[in-house]
Amino acid sequence: MSRPAIILKLILGLLWVIIHLTISLFNLWSLLIYNLQCYLISSGLLRKYQYLHLDRLNYLAIVVDSKEAKNTVKIRQLLSWLSTMGVKHICLYDIEGVLKRSFEPFMNGSKDEKARESLDIGASMNHSHYGYKNMVIDCLSGSDGKEGIAKAADLLCSTYFNGETHGNGKKEPKFTEADMASALKAVGCGGPEPDLLLMYGPARCHLGFPAWRLRYTEIMHMGPLKSMKYGAIVKALYNFSQKYQNYGKLLGFSTLNCSPAKSMNSF
Amino acid sequence: MLLSRSLSRTARRTRLQLMDHRRLHAGAGAPPPLALVQSGIRPESLPRHVAVVLDGNRRWAQERGLLTPDGHEAGRRALEHVILLSHAWGIRALTTYAFSQENFRRPKARPSLPWPNFSCTPIGIRVHVIGDPSRRPRSLQDAAREAEEQTRNNSKLHLMLATCYSGRWEIVEACRELARRVQGSLLRPEDIDEQLLAGELRTSAAAGEELSCPDLLIRTSGEQRLSNFLLWQSAYSELYFTDTLWPDFGEAEYLKALSSFQSRERRFGQRTA
Repeated sequence: MSRPAIILKLILGLLWVIIHLTISLFNLWSLLIYNLQCYLISSGLLRKYQYLHLDRLNYLAIVVDSKEAKNTVKIRQLLSWLSTMGVKHICLYDIEGVLKRSFEPFMNGSKDEKARESLDIGASMNHSHYGYKNMVIDCLSGSDGKEGIAKAADLLCSTYFNGETHGNGKKEPKFTEADMASALKAVGCGGPEPDLLLMYGPARCHLGFPAWRLRYTEIMHMGPLKSMKYGAIVKALYNFSQKYQNYGKLLGFSTLNCSPAKSMNSF
Repeated sequence: MLLSRSLSRTARRTRLQLMDHRRLHAGAGAPPPLALVQSGIRPESLPRHVAVVLDGNRRWAQERGLLTPDGHEAGRRALEHVILLSHAWGIRALTTYAFSQENFRRPKARPSLPWPNFSCTPIGIRVHVIGDPSRRPRSLQDAAREAEEQTRNNSKLHLMLATCYSGRWEIVEACRELARRVQGSLLRPEDIDEQLLAGELRTSAAAGEELSCPDLLIRTSGEQRLSNFLLWQSAYSELYFTDTLWPDFGEAEYLKALSSFQSRERRFGQRTA
């Protein structure tokens, strides 16, 4: 290889290293700023985060990666923090049902006092809720998501065609969203739509949280559960309180200036 | 020492990526697009299906003192650009959310399709229009039908334009389809399961079950919600929310989204038996 080519290769290599160094430093700086902000929020030094207006937060969902959901200490800590912040109604979800099984002894009225004490849980309420420090908590899993919708579809079809056996049985099935909502409730998979959903885990996805209940839910990724921070949760709740939702409606005029006739020639 | 180790790891990783690119495409025809290589994106790790909520056209126009139709026109150009980029980068399916059923509640709302102003047929793009056809004006229904008909033999990129669409409506429609099969004695109600329902969704009918669910879902303009879009299909989709308004979403932003998709550890929510 000629000398100019070697020099060029060295220069390009150096530039590459400089770019990666810059990006790494930027990432490190961002992480430091984030940790500092969380600390300041936790300490109450940032005034705007001191008073959270949670009147719009009627129902909070927490989605946890199933592997991380086994960390009951962290889950308990999270619930404790949320209780302190004034959150009243929470839905815990993980796809494999780890959280459901963690709280199952109390949902079924177990008399295992040691287990109850370890999770610091009060009296159970009904089959899917339990009380914890003035909060109502629902536990959901994958069986309440897509499986639940499939069960509701089964119920809708069964009910419709059983009803039709006395008629001519040939009417086109006309299910509506209201029918589906009722069927979901009947199979035990109904419930309110969360206003806010916090995701804990490595991947930024909702992991099959019941699809029917996710229409307008604000979704925020919080990172791994083991790294959760009080300040980060306060910030998430604060940001949520500042959001405006128009639920698809708008006070202005909205249309696209496209002519279908013109577009037919485009294809 | 920590920093130098990190740098050498980064440099080694980049060299390996470049070697992978050359090996992968040795004798295979066209090399990966330069933009992907320069961004460190591995073509084999690209999402197969990308979904986009095109949000922010009106705000974009307002910020510039323009009228809303100007914002939508800019949005249409941005959409064309993203379609062509997706096509060039080998993404197999692109679903865009243009007009929801809720948007009908807007005053003077008139649904139309953000049609790209280029011909899809020569470049192998197949157009599908998903949503409730009964809520579209007749002219739009005809245009949609014609576009689908003219591009039905294409398969390089499935372009699904969601208009007059709602995730809940789609789920209910899937139930209705299954109910019709029950009515025709092709199915028993107790046989209905997740897989059957998933097979009846509009995205499955359009692009096949393999490409029905997006790997990456992008929403622009800073909003962080699905707004009734692909509620079933987005279970394991990587959600990428950006503050950029849709008309400003170009190649650089798209590369950022793809890079973010690639860098996160992904698990697909597979449950243990």
